[in-house]
Amino acid sequence: MDRRKVLKSVATFLPISAAFTGLAAMGVRFITPVKREINRKIFTVGLEELPLNATKRFKDLQGRDLMIVRTGEREVKAISTVCTHLGCTVFWQKDRQEFFCPCHNGSFDKNGLVIAGPPPAPLDLYPVEIEGDNVFVIFKDIKEV
Amino acid sequence: MGLKNWFKESFPVDTVALITLTSEPIPNHLKRWWWGLGGTPLFMFIIQILTGLMLIFYYVPDPDKAYQSVEYITYTSKFGWLIRSIHRWASNIMIAALLLHMLRVFFTRTYRRPRELNWMFGVTLLLLTLFFGFTGYSLVYEQMSYWAMKVGTGIAGATPFIGPWLADFIRGGSEIGQNTLTRFFLFHIALLPFITLLFVGLHLYLIRTLGVSELKFPGDEKAKKKTYPLFPDHVYTEIIVVTLILILLVSLSLLFPAGLGEPADPSVTPLHIKPEWYFFPVFRWLKITNLNVGVLGPIIFIFLLYAWPFIDRLFEKKFPGKEITFWIGIAGFLTIMVFLVWEIFGH
Repeated sequence: MDRRKVLKSVATFLPISAAFTGLAAMGVRFITPVKREINRKIFTVGLEELPLNATKRFKDLQGRDLMIVRTGEREVKAISTVCTHLGCTVFWQKDRQEFFCPCHNGSFDKNGLVIAGPPPAPLDLYPVEIEGDNVFVIFKDIKEV
Repeated sequence: MGLKNWFKESFPVDTVALITLTSEPIPNHLKRWWWGLGGTPLFMFIIQILTGLMLIFYYVPDPDKAYQSVEYITYTSKFGWLIRSIHRWASNIMIAALLLHMLRVFFTRTYRRPRELNWMFGVTLLLLTLFFGFTGYSLVYEQMSYWAMKVGTGIAGATPFIGPWLADFIRGGSEIGQNTLTRFFLFHIALLPFITLLFVGLHLYLIRTLGVSELKFPGDEKAKKKTYPLFPDHVYTEIIVVTLILILLVSLSLLFPAGLGEPADPSVTPLHIKPEWYFFPVFRWLKITNLNVGVLGPIIFIFLLYAWPFIDRLFEKKFPGKEITFWIGIAGFLTIMVFLVWEIFGH
């Protein structure tokens, strides 16, 4: 093939391809939402209101439910109720003492560990801090900006 | 200059080209209309565009207003219930007809050379139609819609390598919300129709240029001509099919109009949640496998569908005359049916 023709083709198509690739990359970046995460420490409950093994429901900053369970004298767990399988909300079955996910039949024990079904991991735990008799949970404040 | 002449001059029509275009030879087997199911999804697609355009007049893609707008369409606006019901039933018929058409193509092995690429376009059209269904029922923003979006985007999130990015891209963030509904609406009314029209065009172009593959039936050898013209003969057959399907569509819409479930509640997953019937096999599969296998299974299945014309050729070379495709097809079909029935009756 004629060298001049090859050079001409490369000179024509290379900048055009580069321009379109750049535009496509910019487009993909534009439609991918920008996220900002900040940790927020929020008071949830006093220990005196939460007897041993008792649970209390709260909502995190994204509106997702979580269960606060007192598991020891000064031990409290904040368990996410978002199933680790595909994100449905699990609910607490008091009689069976386990969380159940109605989407794909996943079950978790009271510590959030998987008992049955397809969930790949235990329920997420929110970090908890106890100051005096006050229980604080660290929430992630995720904002799409 | 008369109006007729003015129009002829402004809009010249090449009659010879038009006759060539409309007299495509159609193989005799298509006189049996049930072999020509490929036209049905296209007709349903046209119905979807028309009824969808009507629904957009009132639908509001906002999490606080979407459900109310569908409620208004269904219970307050004049004939809204009928238009929505036709839209809903046409989507079901479109998917059913597409599946039947693909089964026919698979079992008659008409995807073989030189029609491999057209089979791939067909698989793409099936996936686009399923995505149409998913985005469509998500827009209603009832409980099933919300949790379908949750599970659907969750599956996208578990895709190897690109999962988290893909889920965030589809949702427009880390949670289902305004961005999600805006995106689903955009996919459903603009992006998907555009891409679908493109692939329908490519599919029809290849059917036109490569011709319809001929199937032989007992008695066909007696026929003097092996083909018959597209216009008017085949068009008449299609009109009859379309009329029958239209009767079926309106009857289903009148007898079983589209209802409305509970409004979306992001904090409570309903105890008995199920997607639309065409996702039942995948839904059941996800219940009995771990997440990685659950997500990889459908991806591999789709890959196999795309690659089947080439896999079939390999089988034919290795085991000539053994009809391996037929038996794999039967096994695959029965497996999908078992999963479907299991999900209908199981928990």
